[in-house]
Amino acid sequence: MRYLVRRLGHAFFLLAGASVLAFLFTALAPGTYFDEMRLNPQIAPETVAALRAQYGVDKPLPLRYASWLNSVLHGDMGFSFAYNGPVAPLLVVRARNTLLLTITSTLFAWAIALPLGVWSAERLGRLSDRLLSWGTAVLLVIPDLALALGLLIVAVRSGWFPTGGMASVDFETLSPANKLRDLALHMILPVTALVLSTLPLLVRHVRASVADVLDAPFLLAALGHGIPKRTLLYRYALPAAANPLISLFGFSIGVLLSGSLLIEVVMSWPGLGPLLLEAILARDLYVVIGGMLFSTFFLVGGNLFADMLLYWADPRIRAESNAR
Amino acid sequence: MLLSLFVFVGPPAIAFPQEKITKEELLVLPGEVGRPGGRLVVSLRGEPKTLNPLIAADARSREVIGVMQADLVHINRARQQTEPALAKSWKISPDGLSYTIVLRQGLKFSDGQPLDADDVLFTFRVYLDENVHAPQRDLLIVSGKPITVRKADAHTVVFQLAKTYGVGERLFDGLAILPRHLLEKPYQEGKLGQSGSLATAADQWAGLGPFRLKEYVAGQRLVLERNPYYWKSDAQGNRLPYVDELVFLFVPNADAQVLKFQSGETDMISQLGAENFSVLSRQQRGYTMTDAGPGLEYNFLFFNLNDAGEKTSPEMQRKQKWFREVKFRQAVSAAVDREAIVRLVYQGRGAALWGLVAPGNRRWGNEKLPHPAWSFERARALLKEAGFSWSNGPNGESTLLDSDGKPVEFSILTSSSNADRAKMAALIQDDLKQLGMRVQVVPLESRSLLDRVTQSRDYDACIMGIASYDADPNSDISVWLSSGGLHLWNPSQAHPATPWEAEIDRLIEEQMSARTFEQRKKLYDRAQEILAENQPMIFLASPNILAGAKNSIGNFRPAVLEPYVLWNVEQLYLKNGTENATR
Amino acid sequence: MRVRRVLTRWLVTLGVLHGIVGFAGFFAPYDPVEQDRKSPYLPPMRFHLIDGQGHFHARPFVYALKLREGSFDRYVENTTEPQPVRFFMKGARYRLLGFLPCRRHLFGLENTRIYLLGTDAYGRDQLSRLLFGGQVSLLAGLLGAGITLSIGLCIGAVAGSFGGWRDSLLMRLAELFMALPWLYVLFAIRAFLPLAVSPLRAFFLIITVIGIVGWARPARLVRGVVLSAKERDFVRAARGFGATHGYLFRRHILPETSSVLLTQAAILIPQYVLAEMTLSFLGLGVPEPVPSWGNLLSSLQQYSVLVSYWWIYLPALAMVPFFLGYLGLASSLQERGAAYKIESRIWGI
Repeated sequence: MRYLVRRLGHAFFLLAGASVLAFLFTALAPGTYFDEMRLNPQIAPETVAALRAQYGVDKPLPLRYASWLNSVLHGDMGFSFAYNGPVAPLLVVRARNTLLLTITSTLFAWAIALPLGVWSAERLGRLSDRLLSWGTAVLLVIPDLALALGLLIVAVRSGWFPTGGMASVDFETLSPANKLRDLALHMILPVTALVLSTLPLLVRHVRASVADVLDAPFLLAALGHGIPKRTLLYRYALPAAANPLISLFGFSIGVLLSGSLLIEVVMSWPGLGPLLLEAILARDLYVVIGGMLFSTFFLVGGNLFADMLLYWADPRIRAESNAR
Repeated sequence: MLLSLFVFVGPPAIAFPQEKITKEELLVLPGEVGRPGGRLVVSLRGEPKTLNPLIAADARSREVIGVMQADLVHINRARQQTEPALAKSWKISPDGLSYTIVLRQGLKFSDGQPLDADDVLFTFRVYLDENVHAPQRDLLIVSGKPITVRKADAHTVVFQLAKTYGVGERLFDGLAILPRHLLEKPYQEGKLGQSGSLATAADQWAGLGPFRLKEYVAGQRLVLERNPYYWKSDAQGNRLPYVDELVFLFVPNADAQVLKFQSGETDMISQLGAENFSVLSRQQRGYTMTDAGPGLEYNFLFFNLNDAGEKTSPEMQRKQKWFREVKFRQAVSAAVDREAIVRLVYQGRGAALWGLVAPGNRRWGNEKLPHPAWSFERARALLKEAGFSWSNGPNGESTLLDSDGKPVEFSILTSSSNADRAKMAALIQDDLKQLGMRVQVVPLESRSLLDRVTQSRDYDACIMGIASYDADPNSDISVWLSSGGLHLWNPSQAHPATPWEAEIDRLIEEQMSARTFEQRKKLYDRAQEILAENQPMIFLASPNILAGAKNSIGNFRPAVLEPYVLWNVEQLYLKNGTENATR
Repeated sequence: MRVRRVLTRWLVTLGVLHGIVGFAGFFAPYDPVEQDRKSPYLPPMRFHLIDGQGHFHARPFVYALKLREGSFDRYVENTTEPQPVRFFMKGARYRLLGFLPCRRHLFGLENTRIYLLGTDAYGRDQLSRLLFGGQVSLLAGLLGAGITLSIGLCIGAVAGSFGGWRDSLLMRLAELFMALPWLYVLFAIRAFLPLAVSPLRAFFLIITVIGIVGWARPARLVRGVVLSAKERDFVRAARGFGATHGYLFRRHILPETSSVLLTQAAILIPQYVLAEMTLSFLGLGVPEPVPSWGNLLSSLQQYSVLVSYWWIYLPALAMVPFFLGYLGLASSLQERGAAYKIESRIWGI
């Protein structure tokens, strides 16, 4: 119980620290949204200055942070200059799109990585294992930038896949079945890119952890007892190897919001990434801070989740923390 | 002095004791007659922020508002001349100080409520109210005094100006007439800024434009439907617009627009760069691309000529000594390979510029402006005259030195989101290298860029582009006047810093109040000459207006003034029936 | 030992690759910033051995490409004049390794220019830009990793050696840094650095930024090593003999960290090269006209380039051999590290 409380407090501290850092960064950057109006020959500088004062851009820093923190605790993450409305709804919509992408690809990646890794660990050193190692190595060394761009070129040249965006024009008018199909079509490319970029590392870690465990004496004993190979691998070896994998899983959860930025930008997927990029360019302060915090929240939350899972799954940790 | 065309259409006026139905005075548009029905889909590069003209500051909102609202007098984008809109006719008094505008009768807003002079009065009251901070306010201040409006009768309004205004009735273009029945209450409660957000219910918002709000899906699209009370008809008396629905798809950038057009998801495309245009032109399957010719955008390089007095750092002082030397600027202008810019940036679809008035502006350009050829010899001669010299470096490259022997180095800022200007910067950087100048190109987001140029004034040189929204010189007045906010090399001056800037101020002020076109042209020509002699802005090039539409779209006539393809949206129609052909 | 042989193989491969990039001036036919405005977006030239008349040439040759009439990006080969490729010819001046003035290039043409990987929007040779760009990107990776590891070493050592409140504070700070999404932090920092700086200074600023962001993980690893090393018998013994902290650290603890640091280096360098590429790709990295691998790809963000000029994509694959080399190096270092552990266990140290 104490462990739980300690980890929660720890997470809260991280979030607070991250929020201060994030706020400081964006607040110190020059340039605000109202400069867009400046380029319009019709609007005079005085109007713009009046609007700047109205939105409180010229107040001192601590006051701005305090008022922002206040609104966050009330569920409202600040005010977006560009969209003339609260930040939270914006983030929620975009985060939902991003999560759609990343949860799908994380599930796919883990669903492929686990069996592949176990299979490879079982055949350690043999040809099939070496081929897989080389395969993952090749994927690992191709930067995800090259992957995303390459897939985009394929899409554009072949015309099989929609190149960008999340839905077609007629989306609202389609039947539910067709809506799903349309969404799936749009998701194929970005999900493939994400899976291909995260898969190799996962496979390697699974393989390494399981391979480590396969040497253990208790497994030899179990084998001696006549337990079938498949059960052995999945019900005995994998749980024993789970420790580092759970941490990795926690990390996968942690980057659910932030890991897909480049792919979203390249493939024009309307997620959190492009919103944040646009907001950074537009100096829309509160959107940037809100987005950063959202991602940090997920990262911290992911680690917390991993810690919890580890505590539940691994008796050694329970014993250790209870002994303290 | 104007052509008033009106035809009485509709049921004859029958006076009931409770309601009095006035005959609708529709505006009849000449031209091709189309067929009704169908849906038009266009893409918008980003999302609009609001539907309220009073707070719309960004280009996307203005694009959408443009088809939902109407103005009193409108500039026909194809002819670049004014024509009556909501105003049936107007009269300018002999002294040029008052404009009497007669409204069309019997018109209704898109929610069925009638339009009358009270709406016009309310509209201008709100525009001019200082507490509302409407961007339109600055357009209605002539010679420092706001325009006054008064109602002559239920359908006539009189505008009074403090001084004659050469622009005349062009002033009213784009000033949407707002519905008093919807906005008076929020105005009195001080909540005007919250009206007309995209989340407004469709029946809570109204305008006089060809389309009205139907549905908004955040992050995806804005659907507008035909305004059944629209006050224009075609030559056969059919009420416009033809199409039933206009859909704006939100796409994040220009390339996404191209993709959607190519796949058939959108029906028209505009604001195309030259490279995308040639990609689309390669296989024109079911659509046609059009090069509408030179537009009004002018791109230019300018130097920091601000005078910060003691606050200037010694390094900045040294650089400004070079920038202030007119021969230096003339040398830079001579070294710029404008032809390469047109070829490599615009793929030939553009024109080299030596002045502010782009070739798309047929009426106001000064044809006698000199167009000196690209010449490094002339540039070097000018630099030598100004006291610069060259030194030879170890690798064989020469460095330009000023009269104190310091090497000439500076940076050029450019907007990071504009690929065309970034290319121009790279070309100019290479050109100036031949002169021995070491130039860095610094891409900066456009907001930060503007901040540096207009607020902190902390930069060396910058490349920017401005697209005039009207052919009339007054649309660029904040660029010309030394007190203007867009007088970029030294904005918002209290007094003109140089005699030539003072002279330009005088010329521009005079042409603002001149009555005839010939008077104004003479003054404006002279202002352009002075600009060319002093080169505070080194003009580079102007792109053509490129657009495309599906072959099934009728009446597609792109113009060189904004909005390039939607300016005649009420006349656009679908040729093959009501189904929107895709793919 | 087999591990050592594999290690050597990877080191040699990496050495050769870095060598080619290091001597870019020789391998590249032209200056990377030189523009050829008559040849924008020229496709890669092909080697021929048999010319239009069916004659066989011993020396491979190429055809000059000229813009087609009325077009701005379509080219035709001038098949009347074969241009033989010359080797070791004199060309533009450059500085070998930054200080030796040289004029010899591996290959080139007499009369016109050879573009083996095509050109970009301003007619600049992509092959030359690829090689010189590699210098920038790889240097960014190496220096960045150096900075990160130095900071990580210092902080980890302090945390591990002193323990107590210093340790807790530093580790909390490390967790904070690890909790931030590094790409966003990179953006934000980059966005408000002074912008009107020379390419050289911009480059060093970027490296510093990239280097500073990632100190947390190496610091923790170093701390772990230091903690376990502190408790080892030989260290205790040395302390018993009156050794100072400094001496202990330098002679006993520091060498233990070397394997961790080397492995981290092999992992971090490619990550940092990728970070520099991402920044440059998004326009936040090295400025024009200095090439870097990310820079070379940034024009692919435009649809028209993506769809029309396939050779612009090639630099994306350029770093694959490098990453492969580093990956191999990292794996074999880890194996070597594990092998050492076994050895030390056997010897009871």
